[in-house]
Amino acid sequence: MVAEGLVDERALVGALVGDSPAAWDLAGELPVNLLRKLGAEGILCAEVPAPFGGLGASSQDNGELTAYTGGLCSSLRSIMTSQGMAAWTIQRFGDREQRRRYLADLTNGQLAAVAFSEIEAGSDLSAMRTLIRPSGDSVVIDGQKMWVTGTRYADHIVVLGRHGDGAAAVVVPAEAPGVHVEPVADPMGCRAAGHSNIRLDQVRLPASCVLGGGGQSLSLLFTTALCYGRMSVAWGCVGIIRACMNAATNHARRREQSGKPLANHQLIARHLAELVIAEQVSTRVCEHASRCWDSASPDMVMAAVLAKHVSAGQATRSAATAVQVMASAGAADGHVAARAYRDAKLMEIIEGSNEICQLVLAQHALTTVAEAG
Amino acid sequence: MTTEQTAELTSVAPEAIAGALLSFLAKRIKTEVAPDQDLFKSGLVSSMFAMELVVHLEEAYDIAIIGPELKLDNFRTVEAMTALVLRLRGASGTADGG
Repeated sequence: MVAEGLVDERALVGALVGDSPAAWDLAGELPVNLLRKLGAEGILCAEVPAPFGGLGASSQDNGELTAYTGGLCSSLRSIMTSQGMAAWTIQRFGDREQRRRYLADLTNGQLAAVAFSEIEAGSDLSAMRTLIRPSGDSVVIDGQKMWVTGTRYADHIVVLGRHGDGAAAVVVPAEAPGVHVEPVADPMGCRAAGHSNIRLDQVRLPASCVLGGGGQSLSLLFTTALCYGRMSVAWGCVGIIRACMNAATNHARRREQSGKPLANHQLIARHLAELVIAEQVSTRVCEHASRCWDSASPDMVMAAVLAKHVSAGQATRSAATAVQVMASAGAADGHVAARAYRDAKLMEIIEGSNEICQLVLAQHALTTVAEAG
Repeated sequence: MTTEQTAELTSVAPEAIAGALLSFLAKRIKTEVAPDQDLFKSGLVSSMFAMELVVHLEEAYDIAIIGPELKLDNFRTVEAMTALVLRLRGASGTADGG
Protein backbone atom coordinates (compact mmCIF):
# COMPACT_ATOMS: atom_id res chain seq x y z
CA MET A 1 0.00 0.00 0.00
CA VAL A 2 2.90 2.35 0.69
CA ALA A 3 4.10 4.01 -2.51
CA GLU A 4 7.61 3.14 -3.50
CA GLY A 5 8.83 6.63 -4.24
CA LEU A 6 10.22 9.16 -1.81
CA VAL A 7 10.95 6.56 0.88
CA ASP A 8 14.09 8.38 2.04
CA GLU A 9 12.28 11.68 2.08
CA ARG A 10 9.53 10.23 4.22
CA ALA A 11 12.09 8.84 6.66
CA LEU A 12 13.75 12.23 6.87
CA VAL A 13 10.43 13.95 7.61
CA GLY A 14 9.71 11.38 10.32
CA ALA A 15 13.13 11.77 11.90
CA LEU A 16 13.08 15.57 11.89
CA VAL A 17 9.50 15.88 13.11
CA GLY A 18 9.72 13.26 15.87
CA ASP A 19 7.22 13.86 18.66
CA SER A 20 7.28 17.64 18.35
CA PRO A 21 3.91 18.38 16.68
CA ALA A 22 2.03 18.63 20.00
CA ALA A 23 4.48 21.26 21.25
CA TRP A 24 4.37 23.10 17.91
CA ASP A 25 0.58 23.19 18.10
CA LEU A 26 0.62 24.58 21.63
CA ALA A 27 3.31 27.14 20.81
CA GLY A 28 1.64 28.06 17.51
CA GLU A 29 4.96 27.99 15.69
CA LEU A 30 7.13 25.68 13.61
CA PRO A 31 10.94 25.83 13.81
CA VAL A 32 11.91 27.74 10.68
CA ASN A 33 15.23 25.88 10.44
CA LEU A 34 13.32 22.63 10.02
CA LEU A 35 11.29 24.17 7.19
CA ARG A 36 14.46 25.40 5.48
CA LYS A 37 16.08 22.00 5.79
CA LEU A 38 13.06 20.21 4.31
CA GLY A 39 12.88 22.90 1.63
CA ALA A 40 16.54 22.44 0.70
CA GLU A 41 15.87 18.71 0.26
CA GLY A 42 13.08 19.56 -2.19
CA ILE A 43 10.54 17.89 0.08
CA LEU A 44 8.20 20.86 0.46
CA CYS A 45 7.47 20.96 -3.29
CA ALA A 46 8.45 17.47 -4.37
CA GLU A 47 6.82 17.64 -7.83
CA VAL A 48 9.18 20.33 -9.13
CA PRO A 49 10.95 18.72 -12.12
CA ALA A 50 14.58 17.70 -11.70
CA PRO A 51 15.94 20.20 -14.28
CA PHE A 52 14.75 22.95 -11.93
CA GLY A 53 16.36 21.38 -8.89
CA GLY A 54 13.33 19.47 -7.64
CA LEU A 55 12.71 15.81 -6.87
CA GLY A 56 10.47 15.39 -9.92
CA ALA A 57 8.02 13.28 -7.91
CA SER A 58 4.75 12.03 -9.35
CA SER A 59 1.51 13.33 -7.90
CA GLN A 60 0.91 9.87 -6.45
CA ASP A 61 4.26 9.71 -4.65
CA ASN A 62 4.07 13.28 -3.47
CA GLY A 63 0.52 12.55 -2.34
CA GLU A 64 1.66 9.72 -0.10
CA LEU A 65 4.46 11.94 1.26
CA THR A 66 1.89 14.66 1.90
CA ALA A 67 -0.40 12.19 3.68
CA TYR A 68 2.47 10.96 5.79
CA THR A 69 3.39 14.50 6.79
CA GLY A 70 -0.26 15.40 7.36
CA GLY A 71 -0.62 12.45 9.69
CA LEU A 72 2.18 13.86 11.81
CA CYS A 73 1.39 17.56 11.70
CA SER A 74 -1.18 19.45 9.62
CA SER A 75 0.65 22.73 10.20
CA LEU A 76 3.77 21.37 8.53
CA ARG A 77 1.64 19.81 5.79
CA SER A 78 0.03 23.22 5.22
CA ILE A 79 3.49 24.65 4.60
CA MET A 80 4.04 21.89 2.01
CA THR A 81 0.76 22.80 0.36
CA SER A 82 1.71 26.47 0.12
CA GLN A 83 5.23 25.83 -1.10
CA GLY A 84 3.99 23.32 -3.68
CA MET A 85 1.24 25.65 -4.85
CA ALA A 86 3.73 28.51 -5.22
CA ALA A 87 6.09 26.28 -7.21
CA TRP A 88 3.27 25.01 -9.42
CA THR A 89 2.01 28.54 -10.09
CA ILE A 90 5.52 29.68 -11.00
CA GLN A 91 6.03 26.62 -13.21
CA ARG A 92 2.76 27.28 -15.01
CA PHE A 93 2.72 31.05 -15.30
CA GLY A 94 6.37 32.02 -15.16
CA ASP A 95 8.56 32.56 -18.20
CA ARG A 96 11.70 30.51 -18.71
CA GLU A 97 13.95 32.78 -16.64
CA GLN A 98 11.43 33.11 -13.80
CA ARG A 99 10.99 29.35 -13.61
CA ARG A 100 14.75 28.85 -13.39
CA ARG A 101 15.26 31.55 -10.79
CA TYR A 102 12.32 30.99 -8.46
CA LEU A 103 12.14 27.20 -8.60
CA ALA A 104 15.84 27.09 -7.72
CA ASP A 105 15.05 29.25 -4.68
CA LEU A 106 12.10 27.08 -3.67
CA THR A 107 14.16 23.89 -3.76
CA ASN A 108 17.09 25.52 -1.99
CA GLY A 109 15.58 26.28 1.39
CA GLN A 110 13.72 29.47 0.62
CA LEU A 111 10.04 29.44 1.59
CA ALA A 112 6.97 30.69 -0.24
CA ALA A 113 3.33 31.51 0.43
CA VAL A 114 0.48 32.15 -2.02
CA ALA A 115 -1.85 35.08 -1.29
CA PHE A 116 -5.40 34.69 -2.63
CA SER A 117 -8.07 35.75 -0.18
CA GLU A 118 -9.10 39.27 0.63
CA ILE A 119 -11.53 40.67 3.17
CA GLU A 120 -14.33 40.88 0.61
CA ALA A 121 -13.01 38.42 -1.95
CA GLY A 122 -12.95 34.76 -1.04
CA SER A 123 -14.71 32.68 -3.64
CA ASP A 124 -16.03 35.81 -5.38
CA LEU A 125 -13.08 36.69 -7.57
CA SER A 126 -14.82 39.71 -9.06
CA ALA A 127 -14.50 41.44 -5.68
CA MET A 128 -10.71 41.25 -5.70
CA ARG A 129 -9.15 44.65 -5.06
CA THR A 130 -5.41 44.02 -5.05
CA LEU A 131 -3.89 45.96 -7.92
CA ILE A 132 -0.65 45.28 -9.78
CA ARG A 133 0.02 48.48 -11.71
CA PRO A 134 2.74 48.83 -14.37
CA SER A 135 4.99 51.84 -13.85
CA GLY A 136 7.86 52.09 -16.32
CA ASP A 137 10.16 49.11 -15.78
CA SER A 138 8.49 48.48 -12.44
CA VAL A 139 5.15 47.44 -11.03
CA VAL A 140 3.49 48.94 -7.97
CA ILE A 141 1.30 46.71 -5.84
CA ASP A 142 -1.43 47.83 -3.48
CA GLY A 143 -3.86 45.64 -1.58
CA GLN A 144 -4.65 43.51 1.41
CA LYS A 145 -4.64 39.73 1.69
CA MET A 146 -5.89 37.71 4.61
CA TRP A 147 -5.22 34.37 6.25
CA VAL A 148 -2.32 33.58 3.98
CA THR A 149 -0.82 30.26 5.07
CA GLY A 150 2.90 30.21 5.78
CA THR A 151 3.49 33.94 5.43
CA ARG A 152 5.23 34.18 8.79
CA TYR A 153 8.06 31.98 7.47
CA ALA A 154 7.98 33.02 3.81
CA ASP A 155 10.78 34.64 1.82
CA HIS A 156 8.54 34.98 -1.25
CA ILE A 157 4.83 35.75 -1.38
CA VAL A 158 3.07 34.95 -4.66
CA VAL A 159 0.37 37.63 -4.78
CA LEU A 160 -2.60 37.38 -7.15
CA GLY A 161 -4.18 40.63 -8.22
CA ARG A 162 -5.74 42.67 -10.97
CA HIS A 163 -3.42 43.63 -13.79
CA GLY A 164 -4.67 45.72 -16.68
CA ASP A 165 -7.83 44.13 -18.07
CA GLY A 166 -6.86 40.79 -16.61
CA ALA A 167 -4.88 39.49 -13.71
CA ALA A 168 -1.38 38.51 -12.74
CA ALA A 169 0.62 36.70 -10.13
CA VAL A 170 3.61 38.60 -8.83
CA VAL A 171 6.40 37.20 -6.69
CA VAL A 172 6.86 39.64 -3.83
CA PRO A 173 9.90 39.39 -1.56
CA ALA A 174 8.57 39.35 2.00
CA GLU A 175 11.25 41.89 2.91
CA ALA A 176 10.30 44.41 0.20
CA PRO A 177 9.49 47.92 1.46
CA GLY A 178 5.74 48.35 1.89
CA VAL A 179 5.02 44.69 2.75
CA HIS A 180 3.42 44.49 6.19
CA VAL A 181 2.83 41.03 7.65
CA GLU A 182 0.62 40.59 10.68
CA PRO A 183 0.24 37.04 12.04
CA VAL A 184 -3.33 35.85 12.66
CA ALA A 185 -3.68 35.57 16.43
CA ASP A 186 -4.70 32.12 17.69
CA PRO A 187 -6.06 30.35 14.59
CA MET A 188 -8.41 27.51 15.49
CA GLY A 189 -6.51 24.88 13.52
CA CYS A 190 -3.17 24.37 11.80
CA ARG A 191 -2.05 26.70 14.55
CA ALA A 192 1.62 26.64 13.65
CA ALA A 193 1.13 27.16 9.91
CA GLY A 194 2.02 30.84 10.12
CA HIS A 195 -1.28 32.29 8.81
CA SER A 196 -0.95 36.02 8.39
CA ASN A 197 -2.75 39.03 7.07
CA ILE A 198 -0.72 41.03 4.57
CA ARG A 199 -0.91 44.70 3.67
CA LEU A 200 0.82 45.76 0.46
CA ASP A 201 1.36 49.48 0.51
CA GLN A 202 2.81 50.84 -2.75
CA VAL A 203 5.21 47.93 -3.05
CA ARG A 204 7.49 48.71 -6.00
CA LEU A 205 9.20 45.79 -7.74
CA PRO A 206 10.93 45.20 -11.08
CA ALA A 207 8.42 44.17 -13.74
CA SER A 208 10.38 40.91 -14.03
CA CYS A 209 8.65 39.76 -10.80
CA VAL A 210 5.30 39.51 -12.63
CA LEU A 211 4.92 35.89 -13.73
CA GLY A 212 4.83 35.57 -17.50
CA GLY A 213 4.38 39.31 -17.84
CA GLY A 214 0.83 39.16 -16.47
CA GLY A 215 -2.36 39.84 -18.40
CA GLN A 216 -3.70 36.39 -17.66
CA SER A 217 -7.21 35.34 -16.73
CA LEU A 218 -7.95 35.74 -13.03
CA SER A 219 -10.19 32.69 -12.97
CA LEU A 220 -7.65 30.57 -14.84
CA LEU A 221 -4.90 31.71 -12.46
CA PHE A 222 -7.03 30.72 -9.49
CA THR A 223 -8.20 27.45 -10.95
CA THR A 224 -4.66 26.43 -11.82
CA ALA A 225 -3.08 27.33 -8.49
CA LEU A 226 -5.97 25.87 -6.50
CA CYS A 227 -5.92 22.62 -8.43
CA TYR A 228 -2.54 21.80 -6.92
CA GLY A 229 -3.66 23.08 -3.52
CA ARG A 230 -6.71 20.84 -3.61
CA MET A 231 -4.64 17.78 -4.37
CA SER A 232 -2.32 18.60 -1.50
CA VAL A 233 -5.11 19.28 0.99
CA ALA A 234 -6.90 16.10 -0.09
CA TRP A 235 -3.84 13.95 0.58
CA GLY A 236 -3.16 15.85 3.79
CA CYS A 237 -6.66 14.89 4.93
CA VAL A 238 -5.87 11.23 4.20
CA GLY A 239 -3.01 11.66 6.68
CA ILE A 240 -5.35 13.14 9.29
CA ILE A 241 -7.73 10.19 8.86
CA ARG A 242 -4.91 7.65 9.18
CA ALA A 243 -3.63 9.33 12.35
CA CYS A 244 -7.16 9.28 13.79
CA MET A 245 -7.65 5.63 12.84
CA ASN A 246 -4.36 4.62 14.43
CA ALA A 247 -4.91 6.56 17.65
CA ALA A 248 -8.52 5.45 18.11
CA THR A 249 -7.79 1.81 17.30
CA ASN A 250 -4.91 1.57 19.74
CA HIS A 251 -6.93 3.26 22.43
CA ALA A 252 -9.92 0.99 21.88
CA ARG A 253 -7.63 -2.01 22.02
CA ARG A 254 -6.03 -1.09 25.35
CA ARG A 255 -8.62 0.78 27.35
CA GLU A 256 -11.05 -1.43 29.26
CA GLN A 257 -14.56 -0.66 30.40
CA SER A 258 -16.97 -3.07 32.12
CA GLY A 259 -14.31 -5.75 32.08
CA LYS A 260 -13.46 -5.75 28.39
CA PRO A 261 -11.56 -3.62 25.88
CA LEU A 262 -13.48 -0.74 24.35
CA ALA A 263 -13.06 -2.41 20.96
CA ASN A 264 -15.29 -5.25 22.15
CA HIS A 265 -18.14 -2.85 22.81
CA GLN A 266 -20.14 -2.89 19.60
CA LEU A 267 -20.87 0.82 19.42
CA ILE A 268 -17.14 1.54 19.68
CA ALA A 269 -16.37 -1.14 17.10
CA ARG A 270 -18.67 0.66 14.71
CA HIS A 271 -16.61 3.83 15.13
CA LEU A 272 -13.51 1.87 14.17
CA ALA A 273 -15.28 0.50 11.10
CA GLU A 274 -16.21 4.02 10.06
CA LEU A 275 -12.60 5.11 10.37
CA VAL A 276 -11.52 2.27 8.09
CA ILE A 277 -14.17 3.25 5.56
CA ALA A 278 -13.08 6.90 5.69
CA GLU A 279 -9.45 5.95 5.17
CA GLN A 280 -10.19 3.69 2.23
CA VAL A 281 -12.66 6.00 0.50
CA SER A 282 -10.38 9.01 0.82
CA THR A 283 -7.26 7.17 -0.25
CA ARG A 284 -9.00 5.79 -3.34
CA VAL A 285 -10.42 9.14 -4.44
CA CYS A 286 -6.99 10.78 -3.97
CA GLU A 287 -5.25 7.99 -5.87
CA HIS A 288 -7.69 8.46 -8.72
CA ALA A 289 -7.05 12.20 -8.84
CA SER A 290 -3.28 11.64 -8.77
CA ARG A 291 -3.54 9.12 -11.59
CA CYS A 292 -5.44 11.71 -13.63
CA TRP A 293 -2.77 14.28 -12.77
CA ASP A 294 0.14 11.98 -13.60
CA SER A 295 -1.38 10.94 -16.93
CA ALA A 296 -2.19 14.58 -17.78
CA SER A 297 -5.85 13.73 -18.17
CA PRO A 298 -8.24 16.68 -18.41
CA ASP A 299 -10.28 14.84 -15.78
CA MET A 300 -7.71 15.94 -13.20
CA VAL A 301 -9.44 19.27 -12.64
CA MET A 302 -12.72 17.76 -11.49
CA ALA A 303 -11.01 14.81 -9.81
CA ALA A 304 -9.03 17.22 -7.63
CA VAL A 305 -12.20 19.00 -6.52
CA LEU A 306 -13.85 15.69 -5.74
CA ALA A 307 -10.81 14.37 -3.84
CA LYS A 308 -10.53 17.51 -1.77
CA HIS A 309 -14.23 17.60 -0.96
CA VAL A 310 -14.52 13.93 -0.07
CA SER A 311 -11.31 13.79 1.98
CA ALA A 312 -11.99 16.99 3.91
CA GLY A 313 -15.44 15.77 4.89
CA GLN A 314 -14.15 12.33 5.82
CA ALA A 315 -11.31 13.88 7.85
CA THR A 316 -13.69 16.13 9.74
CA ARG A 317 -15.96 13.21 10.66
CA SER A 318 -13.02 10.93 11.44
CA ALA A 319 -11.50 13.48 13.78
CA ALA A 320 -14.80 13.82 15.65
CA THR A 321 -15.00 10.03 15.82
CA ALA A 322 -11.47 9.73 17.17
CA VAL A 323 -12.14 12.29 19.90
CA GLN A 324 -15.35 10.43 20.74
CA VAL A 325 -13.60 7.08 21.05
CA MET A 326 -10.65 8.45 23.01
CA ALA A 327 -12.69 10.78 25.19
CA SER A 328 -10.52 12.40 27.84
CA ALA A 329 -7.41 10.62 26.54
CA GLY A 330 -7.56 12.62 23.31
CA ALA A 331 -9.22 15.81 24.46
CA ALA A 332 -6.19 17.82 25.57
CA ASP A 333 -4.93 20.41 23.11
CA GLY A 334 -1.84 19.17 21.34
CA HIS A 335 -3.01 15.55 21.31
CA VAL A 336 -3.24 14.03 17.85
CA ALA A 337 -7.03 13.64 18.07
CA ALA A 338 -7.58 17.13 19.42
CA ARG A 339 -5.37 18.62 16.72
CA ALA A 340 -7.12 16.59 14.04
CA TYR A 341 -10.49 17.84 15.28
CA ARG A 342 -9.45 21.48 14.91
CA ASP A 343 -7.27 21.08 11.82
CA ALA A 344 -9.71 18.99 9.78
CA LYS A 345 -12.54 21.49 10.14
CA LEU A 346 -10.41 24.12 8.41
CA MET A 347 -9.88 21.70 5.53
CA GLU A 348 -13.62 21.98 4.78
CA ILE A 349 -13.05 25.69 4.26
CA ILE A 350 -9.74 26.31 2.49
CA GLU A 351 -8.95 25.78 -1.23
CA GLY A 352 -12.68 25.91 -2.00
CA SER A 353 -15.19 25.41 0.81
CA ASN A 354 -17.56 22.45 0.90
CA GLU A 355 -20.19 24.65 -0.66
CA ILE A 356 -17.95 25.88 -3.49
CA CYS A 357 -16.85 22.32 -4.24
CA GLN A 358 -20.48 21.26 -4.38
CA LEU A 359 -21.31 24.08 -6.79
CA VAL A 360 -18.42 23.04 -9.03
CA LEU A 361 -19.53 19.41 -8.96
CA ALA A 362 -23.12 20.36 -9.70
CA GLN A 363 -21.98 22.48 -12.63
CA HIS A 364 -19.99 19.50 -13.85
CA ALA A 365 -23.16 17.42 -13.90
CA LEU A 366 -25.03 20.11 -15.81
CA THR A 367 -22.22 20.41 -18.35
CA THR A 368 -21.47 16.74 -18.95
CA VAL A 369 -24.77 14.94 -18.68
CA ALA A 370 -26.50 14.86 -22.03
CA GLU A 371 -29.94 16.36 -22.09
CA ALA A 372 -32.56 13.65 -22.33
CA GLY A 373 -34.57 13.94 -25.52
CA MET B 1 -6.81 6.99 -25.78
CA THR B 2 -3.20 6.55 -26.81
CA THR B 3 -4.16 5.62 -30.33
CA GLU B 4 -6.34 8.66 -30.61
CA GLN B 5 -3.56 10.93 -29.37
CA THR B 6 -1.01 9.45 -31.72
CA ALA B 7 -3.39 10.11 -34.57
CA GLU B 8 -3.70 13.71 -33.46
CA LEU B 9 0.04 14.10 -33.22
CA THR B 10 0.51 13.08 -36.82
CA SER B 11 -2.12 15.43 -38.20
CA VAL B 12 -1.42 19.01 -37.30
CA ALA B 13 -3.03 20.72 -40.25
CA PRO B 14 -5.31 23.51 -39.00
CA GLU B 15 -8.43 21.68 -40.22
CA ALA B 16 -7.39 18.51 -38.42
CA ILE B 17 -6.71 20.32 -35.15
CA ALA B 18 -10.01 22.16 -35.34
CA GLY B 19 -11.84 18.97 -36.22
CA ALA B 20 -10.31 17.06 -33.32
CA LEU B 21 -11.15 19.89 -30.94
CA LEU B 22 -14.75 20.02 -32.09
CA SER B 23 -15.19 16.33 -31.43
CA PHE B 24 -13.37 16.61 -28.08
CA LEU B 25 -15.80 19.37 -27.08
CA ALA B 26 -18.81 17.47 -28.35
CA LYS B 27 -17.76 14.51 -26.25
CA ARG B 28 -16.96 16.49 -23.09
CA ILE B 29 -19.83 18.97 -22.99
CA LYS B 30 -22.37 17.03 -25.03
CA THR B 31 -23.00 20.00 -27.30
CA GLU B 32 -22.12 20.71 -30.90
CA VAL B 33 -20.26 24.01 -31.19
CA ALA B 34 -19.20 26.15 -34.14
CA PRO B 35 -15.47 26.90 -34.68
CA ASP B 36 -16.00 30.60 -34.00
CA GLN B 37 -18.44 30.23 -31.14
CA ASP B 38 -17.44 31.96 -27.87
CA LEU B 39 -17.43 29.09 -25.41
CA PHE B 40 -17.28 31.26 -22.31
CA LYS B 41 -19.82 33.85 -23.37
CA SER B 42 -22.32 31.20 -24.36
CA GLY B 43 -22.00 29.78 -20.85
CA LEU B 44 -20.98 26.39 -22.22
CA VAL B 45 -17.79 26.13 -20.23
CA SER B 46 -16.25 27.50 -17.04
CA SER B 47 -12.69 28.39 -16.07
CA MET B 48 -12.50 24.88 -14.61
CA PHE B 49 -13.11 23.58 -18.10
CA ALA B 50 -10.58 26.03 -19.51
CA MET B 51 -7.97 24.30 -17.41
CA GLU B 52 -9.13 20.94 -18.73
CA LEU B 53 -8.60 22.34 -22.22
CA VAL B 54 -5.08 23.45 -21.29
CA VAL B 55 -4.21 19.95 -20.08
CA HIS B 56 -5.82 18.30 -23.09
CA LEU B 57 -4.04 20.47 -25.68
CA GLU B 58 -0.67 20.01 -24.00
CA GLU B 59 -1.01 16.27 -23.94
CA ALA B 60 -2.50 15.88 -27.41
CA TYR B 61 -0.06 18.16 -29.23
CA ASP B 62 3.10 17.93 -27.13
CA ILE B 63 3.14 21.62 -26.33
CA ALA B 64 3.59 23.59 -23.11
CA ILE B 65 1.00 26.29 -22.56
CA ILE B 66 2.60 28.44 -19.92
CA GLY B 67 3.25 32.01 -18.88
CA PRO B 68 1.58 34.67 -21.00
CA GLU B 69 -0.24 32.08 -23.12
CA LEU B 70 -2.59 31.26 -20.24
CA LYS B 71 -5.13 33.85 -21.29
CA LEU B 72 -8.78 32.96 -21.52
CA ASP B 73 -8.81 34.49 -25.02
CA ASN B 74 -6.61 31.65 -26.24
CA PHE B 75 -9.34 29.17 -25.28
CA ARG B 76 -12.37 31.22 -26.15
CA THR B 77 -13.08 29.56 -29.51
CA VAL B 78 -11.98 26.48 -31.39
CA GLU B 79 -10.33 28.82 -33.90
CA ALA B 80 -8.31 30.52 -31.13
CA MET B 81 -7.19 27.18 -29.71
CA THR B 82 -6.19 25.97 -33.17
CA ALA B 83 -4.09 29.09 -33.68
CA LEU B 84 -2.51 28.60 -30.26
CA VAL B 85 -1.53 25.02 -31.04
CA LEU B 86 -0.06 25.98 -34.40
CA ARG B 87 1.88 28.89 -32.87
CA LEU B 88 3.31 26.79 -30.04
CA ARG B 89 4.20 23.88 -32.28
CA GLY B 90 6.07 26.35 -34.45
CA ALA B 91 8.03 27.65 -31.46
CA SER B 92 11.14 25.76 -30.41
CA GLY B 93 11.32 23.92 -27.07
CA THR B 94 8.26 22.28 -25.64
CA ALA B 95 7.03 20.51 -22.56
CA ASP B 96 10.42 19.70 -21.04
CA GLY B 97 10.26 23.06 -19.31
CA GLY B 98 14.00 23.67 -19.60
